Amino acid sequence: MYEELKQVLVTNLKVDREVIRPTATLEDIELDSLAIVELSLYLESELGISISSEEIFGRTSLGDLAGLLEQQSGNV
Amino acid sequence: MDVAVTGLGLVTPGGIGVEASWDAITNGKPTAAIDPSLDGCPVRISSLVPGFDADELFGARRALRMDRVTQLAVAAVNEALQDAGLDPRTWDGARVAVVLGSGQGGITTLDEQYALFAERGAKAISPLLLPKHLINMVAGVVSIEFNAAGPSLVTATACASGTTAIGMARDLLILDRCDIAVAGGSEGRLTPLYMSGFAQMKALSRRHDDPAAASRPFDADRDGFVAGEGAGILILERIADAQARKARIRGLITGYGASSDALHITSPHPEGAGAQSAVLAALRDAGATPGDVAHINAHGTATRQNDLAESVMLERNFPHHPYVTSTKGVTGHLLGAAGAVEAAFTVLAVEQGITPPTANLQTLDSDIHLNVPTTAVSTPVPLALSNSFGFGGHNAVLAIAPP
Repeated sequence: MYEELKQVLVTNLKVDREVIRPTATLEDIELDSLAIVELSLYLESELGISISSEEIFGRTSLGDLAGLLEQQSGNV
Repeated sequence: MDVAVTGLGLVTPGGIGVEASWDAITNGKPTAAIDPSLDGCPVRISSLVPGFDADELFGARRALRMDRVTQLAVAAVNEALQDAGLDPRTWDGARVAVVLGSGQGGITTLDEQYALFAERGAKAISPLLLPKHLINMVAGVVSIEFNAAGPSLVTATACASGTTAIGMARDLLILDRCDIAVAGGSEGRLTPLYMSGFAQMKALSRRHDDPAAASRPFDADRDGFVAGEGAGILILERIADAQARKARIRGLITGYGASSDALHITSPHPEGAGAQSAVLAALRDAGATPGDVAHINAHGTATRQNDLAESVMLERNFPHHPYVTSTKGVTGHLLGAAGAVEAAFTVLAVEQGITPPTANLQTLDSDIHLNVPTTAVSTPVPLALSNSFGFGGHNAVLAIAPP
């Protein structure tokens, strides 16, 4: 799921591929609160995973977020 | 009080940058073309900025958060600041104002998001809808990008917006509200919705068989305007400040006049009464008389009504037949950016002593008796006017002189 997350960040949010790492925080990749809402919309439209911006906001790193996405997609 | 123009930035259908834009203007090279993004619209002609790549200019992530109207503005501000020799990293940002005109704001974003709303409902809407669409954000983003922490605002007087912005920015300098003003205007490409709105008003040229010839100000065969996109920026400073930092002064804004027709939502006063008030106010402000004017950058949209009303007004007030030009023959009508881009062209005209041609003017309308050159004329321009008139009856005029 980490690769899918990375794909959305690069393709839809135009985050520089170089800064995306499993240990990077949302702050590290410069996603502000508006961008996190956008991310939740793209996760829904691109990956079919429904996850709120509040849930994304609580994650400590991209790896952690990918884990949550894994869980959520498993629940579908 | 005269205010110095120390920097110019242009992004127009003539090209990216002052040099490319001014070359297109002095060569009278029209830019209107069939626009595939307008397929299915009653009018499919527009003038777009060639080769504008926001991802390359700003990086894709930064570009994604700006509507095209803001991207064009930021690019023009970049050029204007370099031209002025000003560095936002070192300036006293608290004393820098941003006053920009726009007619529509971020309409590309609005249209995209409205389509999403119609298709998938409210929950699909981007949180960036408003930050990208709201008309004030053009100035807001420029203030952020360039650390300009003085007053910032957008003026919205339709097709006079860019002129209004420069006039208001000059007022801020005169009132000592700032030391530097980033002034001008920007308009992004029109969306099918906006183009359809203008088409329904019968304001647009429908010369689909020869789009390059569609924008033909003052011509007997004109049939409406061509909508275009672009941005124009002037860096303004009080003369003493500009001299103190040994800046190159490219021209002076010597007067500003504004008025309203107070008559009709879209039609100009048939004899240009409101426009005349603005012209005379600008001249009074400049301490000049109509006889001093050597060059007029007309509003000249190429609609039947505008060109006739404007020419009747100009003939009445300027019986000495100064040169009149409409650079819209080249650029099309850049709407909220038009006045700013044309003020920049007028600064170049007084600086270089050139009156550019009016492109596509083949046969002057027999009811129009103005001195409109069809090739560039090299002759000193001691005083020029730049006219802009907008729907709503907004009239704004700048008086511009060489340093």
